[in-house]
Amino acid sequence: MMRPRVMRPGRWIGIAVIAGIAAIAVAAPVLAPRDPYRSGIDMLVLPSATHFLGTDDLGRDVLSRVIYGARASLAIGLGAALVAMLIGVPIGLLAGTLRGRIDVALVALIDLFIALPGLVLALIFTAMVGANLRNLILVLGVVMWPPIARLVRGQALALRETVFVEAARATGGTQLWIIRRHVWPGVLPVVAAQFSISVSFAIFTSASLSFLGLGIPPPAADWGGMVRAGYDYLAINPAMSLAPGAAVSLTVMGFYVIGASFK
Amino acid sequence: MLRLIVRRVLLMGLTALTVSALLFFSVTKLLGSPAGMMLGQDASPQAIAALNAQYGFDRPALSQYLHWLGDALTGDLGRSYTTQQSVAQAIATRVPVTLELAVWSIALAVAAAVFFNTIPVARAPVRRIVTLVNLVGISVPNFMLGVSLIFLLSVQLDLLPSTGWVPWSDGVGAHLAHMVMPVLTLSAYYFGAFSIVYRAEYQDVIQRPFIGVARARGLSEWRVAFRHAAPNAILPVITFVGISIGQLTGGAVVTETIFSMPGTGRLFVASIEGRDFPVMLAIGMLIVVGVVLMNLLADIAYTIANPQIRHAS
Repeated sequence: MMRPRVMRPGRWIGIAVIAGIAAIAVAAPVLAPRDPYRSGIDMLVLPSATHFLGTDDLGRDVLSRVIYGARASLAIGLGAALVAMLIGVPIGLLAGTLRGRIDVALVALIDLFIALPGLVLALIFTAMVGANLRNLILVLGVVMWPPIARLVRGQALALRETVFVEAARATGGTQLWIIRRHVWPGVLPVVAAQFSISVSFAIFTSASLSFLGLGIPPPAADWGGMVRAGYDYLAINPAMSLAPGAAVSLTVMGFYVIGASFK
Repeated sequence: MLRLIVRRVLLMGLTALTVSALLFFSVTKLLGSPAGMMLGQDASPQAIAALNAQYGFDRPALSQYLHWLGDALTGDLGRSYTTQQSVAQAIATRVPVTLELAVWSIALAVAAAVFFNTIPVARAPVRRIVTLVNLVGISVPNFMLGVSLIFLLSVQLDLLPSTGWVPWSDGVGAHLAHMVMPVLTLSAYYFGAFSIVYRAEYQDVIQRPFIGVARARGLSEWRVAFRHAAPNAILPVITFVGISIGQLTGGAVVTETIFSMPGTGRLFVASIEGRDFPVMLAIGMLIVVGVVLMNLLADIAYTIANPQIRHAS
């Protein structure tokens, strides 16, 4: 898959954005002006000095909910990307280094899963196991591993032909030792860049699931679900939908730009 | 080449079969018998047993699967648990909506990606804007894009109807007016993705000697760009379209939900919410077969267009 070349300043903007969002997630209890779950009698109030982004249909403070929403998004994004790496990297390394029948079988498996639409698979899987934070992380991880495995395999395949790997093999190194000592360090930078892109994809997909009503169930402060809830009230308090939507977009873009700039 | 195609077709059949089995067994295993859900909590054991026998839930899973597969191959996809409507019929009325949305979106994305990345005035500032639009297209989730469009074009400017869908028979203008925002929403990502693929190839093509020859003949930059460079750079985009169809189905699910369109994607979401197993399974299979078929067509198109591969086998 090809990625756009992002200008160098873009990387720093991406890092700054993600650092900011991570800080907001960590300091949510301090930063949020109100309890994100407490309903009030002031429903669908427009942005004002007391409610910076207004209130939602249950009278909850939108700004506080957007701030708390960073927690679920980052947890799912980072967790799912980690799970995808834990599955995809070993499979890619094995396929690329061992070659032969194992490679053929693993590539067939990767091709089979890569052709299937991630969001549709995630929809089916979450419907089966039930949507909660842990399940969403696992489901998205399982959906996202094939492109990682393919990428790692390609990289390992290239490294396999290098002189230093050949030398390592000639000195009688075991496969496992060669992978750990000579192939893995060469694959690491690619894996790191892909990790960031996987986080962006996981946040994107989990927000889409929530928007479809099949993500983390309410009343959790979850960006995708908030966009969906606010979309019926666009004419009354647009911030209820647009603010969490902007937050998802910014987070996805931040992780994507960081990953793409290192490719 | 024929051998290559035959092998691809066989592989495709195998993939579809494997996935259908995986889908069937995992869904039946994890959801269990839907009888309890269909009859409610107070259903008597006798009623549940009767329903199980009627739908064949009491038979072993393998027998159920083979039965379903046999029926599906003859076009009988069963009946919806919730509406009792024939699944094949329900899907048939909805597929045209999704297909139209997908075709418009892909066409717009390809045309815009090729146009904006070919125009020879695309010097630094213009190019930077195109890069930025690419980035937005790729990373802003389509539900956010859709909601923003509704807010801007319907709520604020009152230019377009916010949601809903109107058949062609109710007027071409009304039909198209309802299609504008969904198509923009779905095509944004593909505009970004196609641009990246196209631009990489275009920058390679524009360096080749025949472009220098065309320039030396005194042709205008626009003519060189659109007549000589663009047609030679478009092939990877076509292949990429085939590969993208899978992801597009996911985008269509979201887009149809935002704009309340009576398409296959929304039926799919409804079937998942309602645990309507026959509908869910049928649409899941339709998507898988569609994706695999599109990949196959892209492969074949690429083989035909590329003599190196065509003659290799």
